[in-house]
Amino acid sequence: MQLTDRELWALIHGMGLGAVFLLAFGGGIAGVWSLRSKYVTPEGLQERTPRLLVGTAVMAIVAWLTVIVGTWVVYPWYRAAAPEGTTDLARFPKALLISSPDTAEWHTFGMEWKEHVAFLAPILATAVAFATLYYGAQLVHRGEVRRAILVFFTLAFAAAGVAGLFGALITKAAPVA
Amino acid sequence: MQSTQTKPNGPVAASFLAAGIGSLVLGILVCLNELGGDISKFLAFDKNFGLGSGVGPLSGKATLAVLAFVISWVVLHFVWRGKEVNFSRVFSLALILVAAGFILTFPPVFEIFVPKAA
Repeated sequence: MQLTDRELWALIHGMGLGAVFLLAFGGGIAGVWSLRSKYVTPEGLQERTPRLLVGTAVMAIVAWLTVIVGTWVVYPWYRAAAPEGTTDLARFPKALLISSPDTAEWHTFGMEWKEHVAFLAPILATAVAFATLYYGAQLVHRGEVRRAILVFFTLAFAAAGVAGLFGALITKAAPVA
Repeated sequence: MQSTQTKPNGPVAASFLAAGIGSLVLGILVCLNELGGDISKFLAFDKNFGLGSGVGPLSGKATLAVLAFVISWVVLHFVWRGKEVNFSRVFSLALILVAAGFILTFPPVFEIFVPKAA
């Protein structure tokens, strides 16, 4: 039982960083949503605000690391061109996928969407993290900003979700190995 | 009353609008890359500027979109620093830009820009 370097980096990208972002979303959105004066006492606000600040900042950092590792480490292995005359395309996932009409759309639709839409997640998550860090506990008095954070947070999750879903399905069809 | 109790919302509005600008720029670059030719060659920042190896035009699309996000954020931050802006209006605009970014990165949409074979 062992992993190649490529499999390890693909694992760090998808099951490590990407999964952390997606799993942390539930806690983050619940934390922001419930940050209202009618739901929390001043003591409760003091207790949960630092956790929310750290959580949103970590999520933004993790989102950036996910796309950086995905784009500049794993993606070049995925899209590497197979040398002329290569018959075994197992080490060339993109070439393997487009070699058959049955699997070509995993690249032409799945990967083409994933590789672009993924970048929206860290951009949106960074705006969310900044707004949370800027206002901190004052967010309880800023309903319009809190709602905007919830919307951007959800859109960041949607972008990361699309990327994560297609990443998993494409890896199943043609793993980077 | 909110504005006197809390910090001004200008810097936060700046970050949200900048995120919208970055998203839109990404979508536009994805479409422009489909035109091929010089634009697509220019976007290969890995070859042109040594930004990675084997990433192709995605390196340019991603880098320029992030730069658009950061630069517009810095500019808007200084313009709106210490100011209270119409947050609902700014956020609505940011949402429209993000939605445009989402739509333009959707393959059936950006493939419209692929030149038809003669």
